[in-house]
Amino acid sequence: MIDDKRREVKKKLRTLKGLPTLPPIVAKLTRMIGDETVSAPQIAAVIERDQVLTSKVLRLVNSAFYGFPRRISTVSNAIVLLGFNVIRTLVITASIFEMMQSRDVGLWEHSLGVAAVSGILARDLGLENPEEVATAGLLHDLGKVVERASLVEDYKKIQEKVRNEGVTWREAEQEILHMDHAEIGGYLLNRWNLPERLVEPVASHHELKKARRFKVETAVVQLADILVRARGFGYSGDPWVPEPEEKALKLVGLDEKKLEVLLPQMEVKFYELKFFTEEIREALLEKNPAT
Amino acid sequence: MKKILLLSAEVPPYTIWAEVLTQKGYRVEIFPEIQEAGERVFFSLPDMILVSEGLHPELVKDLIFALKCDLSLASLPILLIVDPEKLPRIDWHEYFVDDFICEGASSEEVISRVKLALLRAERLADNNPLTGLPGNTSILRKIEEVIHDDGEWAVGYVDLDNFKPFNDAYGFSRGDEVIRMLARLLVNTVEFYAGPKGFVGHIGGDDFVFIVPLDVADKVAQEVIQKFDQLVLNFVDPEDRERGCLLTTDRQGVLCRIPWPSVSIAIVPVWAGRFKHYGEVAAVAAQLKHYVKKVPGSTYLIDRRKEERP
Ligand SMILES: [Fe+2]
Ligand SMILES: [Fe+2]
Repeated sequence: MIDDKRREVKKKLRTLKGLPTLPPIVAKLTRMIGDETVSAPQIAAVIERDQVLTSKVLRLVNSAFYGFPRRISTVSNAIVLLGFNVIRTLVITASIFEMMQSRDVGLWEHSLGVAAVSGILARDLGLENPEEVATAGLLHDLGKVVERASLVEDYKKIQEKVRNEGVTWREAEQEILHMDHAEIGGYLLNRWNLPERLVEPVASHHELKKARRFKVETAVVQLADILVRARGFGYSGDPWVPEPEEKALKLVGLDEKKLEVLLPQMEVKFYELKFFTEEIREALLEKNPAT
Repeated sequence: MKKILLLSAEVPPYTIWAEVLTQKGYRVEIFPEIQEAGERVFFSLPDMILVSEGLHPELVKDLIFALKCDLSLASLPILLIVDPEKLPRIDWHEYFVDDFICEGASSEEVISRVKLALLRAERLADNNPLTGLPGNTSILRKIEEVIHDDGEWAVGYVDLDNFKPFNDAYGFSRGDEVIRMLARLLVNTVEFYAGPKGFVGHIGGDDFVFIVPLDVADKVAQEVIQKFDQLVLNFVDPEDRERGCLLTTDRQGVLCRIPWPSVSIAIVPVWAGRFKHYGEVAAVAAQLKHYVKKVPGSTYLIDRRKEERP
């Protein structure tokens, strides 16, 4: 069946010019880059805390120009290959959200939380590259940033629907866009030549059966998403906490006993992250007292 | 078709320049937003950049600096478009550009400058097509330069172990990916420790040369080795990574277990009067390589014999 709405959305995604990110993060990075005592790993650590910049860095390093498409899945590896000067240029030319709402920071906090919890679960499972799974966690809701930045009219409609009808963000997306943010994010990351190990968990985090090669990683991201929502860290569009899929719980081996061990580790992470997110929130309020 | 990026306002005379250049067979794209252009440059590399200083003086300076400092982009010609009245005040040390064009220049002048700059870039470049790094002529020239210099330098010869079986197992294009990865790693590490004093050249195949001040040579080698061992895992299939080796068959058809590529570096210190000729440096490197190659895994060796030193 030909679906005009889907076609329209995909066309917009193909001509997407680049995603804006939070002004205070760009400001912070610009400051760091001007400071000669700041090292590349320190800059990597800040880039890793922003889904838009992270996707940009990964897109660049996996682009045809560098000649190793779909190979590099972590910011630290990307920075080694791109070099300081390229990172510098990416940062000074990064575009920022002109109109910020405190909601935008909420989504960004949510993504950071999911990245941290994905990393903890991956490490606990003994997966080969926990940093990579954390990156998938960071990027899992990139589709929502795209809606916010580039599908503005539809974004407003989704927002209203969620508010007035009490449906979930995903249900509203399905109705208005005929696809959800997971598909949008996956579609873009795939177009940008990112490794499949990142694309799949992003594209399938709400529907495990869609994942073929990286089921465990996908299950990790799904559960991390749910845990972070349940904990109330950040805001991802609606107040509902989805049910985890049976299969996901099984693949990750997550039960009450394990949770008891892992929850304190997560709390430590949330506590650390708060320092950073509060700093960014304050910087934002200073500039934009209206939000 | 040569691709030219024009970073300027989208008004005459720039639109007219773009038009006449297009008529001459160049593909011209105008970017009035330097932010957008910055991204564009890296995602799809042009053959030349014309950039108007007046567009955003600070960002323009930053962008040029970033491009020219990237050793694999250094040969990309950049022409600065300036207001002729500003000329006396411009400090050319701050702009790593190849030439300039005045804002009021005629279309004929613009075409000639562009042609000339492209020709000059071609003449200078013996760059390796796979990595964009300078090739043998430049390497030779650079080594001659440091052996006659008063400072203390290190010439590092880099190559891969077990590269051939890797190519056999995964095919050449995967091999090329690893070569490009090594090139970027060398460029960035050398750039980080030696800045503009550093040099990286690509002899061919999996053979590279880098030149840095002697006091940072150990650091460069250690970091290249450590990062290479980490990065190379991205180029090995998950099944093989789990097994811990590659499987190939040798000429007799026997199944072999082979480790994935590692990197060997032989470092020859150079000081005034130590060598008269480039060949002598290569000879010492060959001796060192003989020892380095006996050690399994990624390693480096620096020639510590200093008895001839004044
Ligand atoms: Fe989601
Ligand atoms: Fe989420």
